[in-house]
Amino acid sequence: MSVLRWWWGLLLAFAILALGRVFLPLPFANEIVLFSIYAMGCNFLLGRVGFISFGQPAYLAVGAYGTAFYLFYFGSNPYVGILCGIVAGIVISLAVGALFVRLRKDYFALVNLALAVIVYYLMQKVLAGITYGDNGLWFLTSIASTPVLDLSRPDQFFIFAFLVAFAIFAFYKYIDDSIFGACCLATKINEDKLTFLGYSNFSIRLVAFVIANPTTALAGAMYAVYLGFVSPEITSAARTPEPVIVTILGGVGTLYGPIVGSLVYIGMKDLISKFVGNWELIIGFGLVLIMLAGEKGIWGTIEPLLKKAFSCALRRPLPRTLGGRSDD
Amino acid sequence: MIDTQLLISGVLFGLSLGSIFFLMAVGLSLVFGLMRVISLDQLLYYSLGGYVTYSISVTTGNFWLGALGGMAAGAIAGLAAERLVYLRIYERDITFTMITSFGILIGGVGVIKYFWGLVPLPVAVPIDVQIDVLGPEIPVYRLIIVGLSGLVYGGIWMFLNRTIVGKAMRAAIENVEHVEGLGINIYRLFAIAFTIAGGLSGLAGGLYAPLIMVDPQMGLDVLAFVFMIVIIGGLGSIKGTLVSSFLVGQVVSLGTLVYAPMAQMAPFAIMLLILLVKPTGLYGSPLLKR
Repeated sequence: MSVLRWWWGLLLAFAILALGRVFLPLPFANEIVLFSIYAMGCNFLLGRVGFISFGQPAYLAVGAYGTAFYLFYFGSNPYVGILCGIVAGIVISLAVGALFVRLRKDYFALVNLALAVIVYYLMQKVLAGITYGDNGLWFLTSIASTPVLDLSRPDQFFIFAFLVAFAIFAFYKYIDDSIFGACCLATKINEDKLTFLGYSNFSIRLVAFVIANPTTALAGAMYAVYLGFVSPEITSAARTPEPVIVTILGGVGTLYGPIVGSLVYIGMKDLISKFVGNWELIIGFGLVLIMLAGEKGIWGTIEPLLKKAFSCALRRPLPRTLGGRSDD
Repeated sequence: MIDTQLLISGVLFGLSLGSIFFLMAVGLSLVFGLMRVISLDQLLYYSLGGYVTYSISVTTGNFWLGALGGMAAGAIAGLAAERLVYLRIYERDITFTMITSFGILIGGVGVIKYFWGLVPLPVAVPIDVQIDVLGPEIPVYRLIIVGLSGLVYGGIWMFLNRTIVGKAMRAAIENVEHVEGLGINIYRLFAIAFTIAGGLSGLAGGLYAPLIMVDPQMGLDVLAFVFMIVIIGGLGSIKGTLVSSFLVGQVVSLGTLVYAPMAQMAPFAIMLLILLVKPTGLYGSPLLKR
């Protein structure tokens, strides 16, 4: 019973997402699943550890290029390619993490932003010999078909992305429940107290950093396999706020925020760009309005209402001993 | 070895680049020091300044009038953003004000695209005379930029050290509660600081416009450099901003002479080194915490 209680929220959310696959066009559904993985890393950093990172596209690009290099130069198996992307993400997080997590919050945000722009220049100019600069790497035709889940076909790719997203969200829910998750929250709220309890703020932040950014790199790797090409455009300065916007839109630090945020953001972008040319105007001022209205985001506003509605419906018939423990 | 002629022109080019960077970054730094807001929308006032300069200099034919108009436009936009948006969110966490300012930046870029279109527009160089400086020919206009930014630094120094409002502002950078306790209206100080910052960013955009094309993304192009400067110099320090903007200007300019693709990366390497040694930047004080 308690196992089901832990899983039911996730199962329900992903059942709705799977249902979305029936009604929504396939590219749109794929985009939402990929983007929610992408936003999850940022959501964890911002909501649990209290680090805002405007440089998530840097890690996205590292993952994407890790995959792209493998598929373009060495092999053709997309699964190995995605694995390469994740390894690249872990390597870069370890390389810069120890330096970055020492910094104060404001510096952290700026340093990440600088990193994103540096990765952009690196891929566009410095390594132009192997990345082909702005033209990007095209390898759609060299992705081999695999027997079980054929990632070169969009409909089967959706199933794979769906499973990966489910695993990622279950993993983050597990982290939220663990002692480590509590430590992360504590380093966000009161780092001095955590030091008194005998934990090291530095190592908790470093581990959180090395968990969150490979998630982003994984999203990048999957983008690369899905689109079949990678160009420096994915880390350009204009795209740096996207994961943060989605995180805020969905609700910072909530588990389902990234899904809701991606759904609304990509849906809005698609809808608005159909009617007016510059979606930036609407997104930008929409963001300002959301910030002025409050910082809870869409899911953060809905969740307490839903919980209240559900607890009224579910808990009342139960005896007090069963309904005592509140469950998220 | 690089020959002397190239080196001298490289240094002067770096000086003019550093001047533009300084004008941009000083607003960001001042606003952070006073209000603890990372105001990314300064980059919007920079592009706005460039565009207003373009429009005025095309209609009237006078570039300097245009640059003045760009400065005024930046100042007004900064004041409007402060009164309409920031006034409501000063108490919030720094991350939230930063995201809001990013929203203003992106939305403003959308507005610019709406009015001026997507195509990059050229602004005519007001003075195309070149003079001989120790050998190589240098465009006079670049030297004027350096002179103007020197004047701005002097002006800000005078303002902060000689006027009563400036002194109140410096005191508020140290401890805002005490200043409020003295009966000084800190919200008026904030508005003044925002107006100054927006005006300087607009001026930077206007002055830089003839050397590049104005396009809607121009603010986002300099974003990385401005941030590096602010980080290297230390958030909230005017002197640090001056030192680091000329440092970055020289590194970019001289780096281009040595090996062009690395020029964009070199400031980042410097930033990492400085942060390794001193996580708060060159002149940032560790006490800046609220």
